[in-house]
Amino acid sequence: MSREVVVTGLGLISAAGNNTEDSWNNIVAGRSGIVTLSRFDTSEYDQAIAGEVHDFDPTEHVDPKLLRRIDLSTAFAIAASLQAISDASIEIPAEHPDAVGIILGTGIGGAHLMIEQQRVLDEKGPRRISPFLMSNFLPDTATGLVAIALGARGPNFAVSAACATGGAAVGEAAEAIARGDVEVMIAGGFEAPLQPIYYAGFNAMRALATNEDPKQALRPFDSERNGFVLGEGAGVLVLESLEHAKARGASIYAQWVGAATSSDAYDMVAAAEDGRGINEAMRGALEHAGLKPEQISYINAHGTGTPLNDRVETRAIHDVFGESAKHLMVSSTKPIHGHMMGASGAIEAAICVLACKHQIAPPTINYANPDPNCDLDYVPNTARKAAIDYAMSTSVGLGGHNSALIFRQWENR
Amino acid sequence: MKAPRVVVTGIGLITPVGIGRDASWQALLAGTNGIGPVTLVESTDLPAQIAGEVTGFEPLDWLNRKDARHMDRFVQLSIAATDEAIEQSGLDIPSEANQVGCMIGSGIGGIGTLEDQFKIFFDQGAGRVSPFLVPMFISDMAAGQVSIRTGARGPNVNTVSACASGADAIGTAYEVIRRGDAQAMIAGGTDAGVTRMSIAAFAAARALTTSRNDDPEHASRPFDLERDGFVLAEGAGTLILENLTHAQKRGANILAELVSYGAAADAFHVTQPSENGEGAARAMNIAIEKAGITSDNVDYLNAHGTSTPMNDKFETLSVKAVFGETAGNIPISSTKSMIGHSLGAGGAIEAGVTVQSIVDQRIHGTHNLIVPDPDCDLDYVPEAWRDVSIDYAISNSLGFGGHNSSLIFKRYAE
Repeated sequence: MSREVVVTGLGLISAAGNNTEDSWNNIVAGRSGIVTLSRFDTSEYDQAIAGEVHDFDPTEHVDPKLLRRIDLSTAFAIAASLQAISDASIEIPAEHPDAVGIILGTGIGGAHLMIEQQRVLDEKGPRRISPFLMSNFLPDTATGLVAIALGARGPNFAVSAACATGGAAVGEAAEAIARGDVEVMIAGGFEAPLQPIYYAGFNAMRALATNEDPKQALRPFDSERNGFVLGEGAGVLVLESLEHAKARGASIYAQWVGAATSSDAYDMVAAAEDGRGINEAMRGALEHAGLKPEQISYINAHGTGTPLNDRVETRAIHDVFGESAKHLMVSSTKPIHGHMMGASGAIEAAICVLACKHQIAPPTINYANPDPNCDLDYVPNTARKAAIDYAMSTSVGLGGHNSALIFRQWENR
Repeated sequence: MKAPRVVVTGIGLITPVGIGRDASWQALLAGTNGIGPVTLVESTDLPAQIAGEVTGFEPLDWLNRKDARHMDRFVQLSIAATDEAIEQSGLDIPSEANQVGCMIGSGIGGIGTLEDQFKIFFDQGAGRVSPFLVPMFISDMAAGQVSIRTGARGPNVNTVSACASGADAIGTAYEVIRRGDAQAMIAGGTDAGVTRMSIAAFAAARALTTSRNDDPEHASRPFDLERDGFVLAEGAGTLILENLTHAQKRGANILAELVSYGAAADAFHVTQPSENGEGAARAMNIAIEKAGITSDNVDYLNAHGTSTPMNDKFETLSVKAVFGETAGNIPISSTKSMIGHSLGAGGAIEAGVTVQSIVDQRIHGTHNLIVPDPDCDLDYVPEAWRDVSIDYAISNSLGFGGHNSSLIFKRYAE
C-alpha cells in the first residue's frame, strides 16, 4: 500500500528572491528579476539578458574553503537544501539518518571551473589541471555534498531530464517515500547556466528572447513572444511521509498526490507539435492521483515563451482537460524567475505548493497581446485569489522529456 | 496490490573487450585485456596515456551520417547497446509505446562535445559555437535519443550518481515497473570519458593509475597489492527490464529476475569511501533485506573493484561487514580488471555481466590479480573463469560523492 506524502519544507533561490517569503511576494506581485546579464562580458551579443540571482551570499550556508572548490550551481543546491530543511525543522542526525534521502537534479551541471580549466589545459598543459575539477563538474556532487552537510544517508543521486529535471526529481523522491524506502526526501533541482559557453550554445539555438526592456522579454502565451530567458538558482522541497510529519508535529504546506514522466520520442530539440508527450505526462499524473481533469484548479505551466512551446502546451491542455480547460487557471512564472533549466520544474513545484497553501494563483506577467493559438485563462498580469484544491506543475525538456506533478491543498481537505 | 515481479529479457553490451554481448562475455571469460594506448585523443602530454577504448566502434554501423554527427559518442555507444538488448528481448515497442520507458544513466555526458566547443569558443568566438552544443552535451540525451530511435514514450530520465549512474538507472527503472508506471523499461548506462580533459582531471584527482603507461595490460589490477589507480574506459550497457506477467504473456525468453535494489549515501566525503565501507555495506544490506533473503543465499558478487588502493580495500571491508564469517566463501570478480572503469556505464555493463553469469552459471575472473594484498583476502576468482551454481548474485556500484548501489539478480524460476 502506497503511503501518503506531504511537503513540509521549501528552499527557493532565484531571480525572484533568495528565500521563500521574498520569492512568493515577488511572484504574486509580478515583480520580474530579469536584468541585463552582468556575469561575463557579453559585448559580442546584440543583447544579453538573464534571470540573475541577486545578492546571494553562499557563505551563509557553505564553508568558504569548500566554496572555492564547488560550482555555483552546487552552492545554490546546498543553500536551498539547508533552507528547506531548516524550514521543515528537521534535525537529521536525531531522526534516523538512513531514512533521509536526496534526489536533486540538474540539466547541464557546473562548468564555471571547466571554462577556466580549459584555458589551463590549452595554455599550461594537462598536468596543471585542478584536482577538484572533476568533482566540481560532475552533476551528482551536489547531492553528495548536501548529504555530507546534513548527515543524510538514504538513497542519493541526481537526475537529469533537461528542462524537466526538477519535476522528475521531485516525482522520483516522492515515490521513494510512498513505497516505504525512506521517511524524508530532499528533492529538487539546481542550475547555474549563466556561463559564457552555455550562453553561446543557447544563443546559437536562436531560442533566447530579446526586448528593449529585459523585464518584458519573456512573454509566455503572448502573440509577440520570441523566446526564453535563462535563469539560475535552485528549488528544493522537503517531502515527508504523512505519518512521520504528524508524529513530529510538523507544519504541512501541501500534499503530493501524483507524478508522471513521459517522452515525446520525436526530436532532440523541438517538442512534438501534437503535444503528445506532455499530454501523456499530465494524463499519467491525473491517473496516478485518481483525479478527474476538472478537479485541477491551477496549472503552473512550462510556458517558456517560445512560439512552439506555448502553442503545443496549450493544445495539450485542451486535449487532456477538454471542456474543463476553460475553467482552469494556467500561468507561467518564468517571466519573473527566468527559465532555470533543471531547476525550473522544482521551483515551479514549490510555487504550486505555495499556491495551494495561500489559495492564490500567481500571474503570467507581460501578457498583452492575445494569440489565437493560446486561448486559456493565463491569469494575465495580476495574481488571483481563488479556491485551489489541486495544482499541477508541468515541465518539458530538450530531448522530449516531460513531467507533471500534482499537489493538494492541506488546510481544508 | 502486490508489486509485480521484474525480469530481464535483453542485454546489450558495448565494451573495450567486445562490440556486442556475446563478444564481450566470451572475452571476459577468456580473461582478455581491453586496456591499451589512448588513440581517441592526443595523449602524449597526458599523465595517463592508456584507456579502455571500444576499439573498432563505427557509429555508422548503427546510424546515418546526419544523426551520428548530432550525437556525442556517449549517445552513440548507448544506441548500439540498446539495439542489441531490444533485439534479444523481442520487445515490439511501437505497439505499446506509452508502456515502455527509458532510464539511461551517464556520469559525465557529452564531455567530448563540450571540449570541442570550448576550442571553437576560445579560437573563433562565441558566435561560432554550435547550436547543438547544449543538446549534444546534456547527459539526459542518451535516454532522449534512445526514445526517439525506439519510439519508447514512457517515463524517461537519466540518473546521475557518478560511477553508480548505470546501477541507479536500472534500480530506478525497476521501481518504475513495480509501481505500474510502465510494463517494460530500457535501462542502462553509458559514458565516453576518454577525452583529454577527463583524463587530465581524473589524474589530477589522483584517481587514475599513471605508472603503467608502457604496460597497459597490467594497469587495471583490482585487489592486487600493486594497484595504484583505475584506468579510464568507455562503453555502454543496456538491460531490458519487464513486468514478469508482460514477459510471460508475449512468450519472452526470461534471462533472470531482478529482485531488489538498495541505495545508500555515505554522507562522508566527496572522493573517499566511508569508514570500513559502511555506506557500501548498508546498500548491500538493504538490497538483501528487500530481496527477502539472507547473505547466505548470495552465490556471486560482481564487485565495483576499480583498482584504486582505497576502493578495493574498503569494498572488501564492506563485504566482510555484510557476509561475516562466510565472506571468504563468495566468489567475487571485478569486470573492471579487463575493461577498466567506464564511469556511469560501469554499473550497467556489470549488471549485464551479472545476468549473463546467472544464465550460463559461470563467472569470469579478476584479471591481473598477481600479488596478494593482505587487506584484500577474499576469493576474487583469480583464474579466468569458474563454473558456479548461482541462485542469487549481487552487482555493486560505488560512486564519487558517496553513492552506493546494489542490485540483486536471481536465477529465473516461475
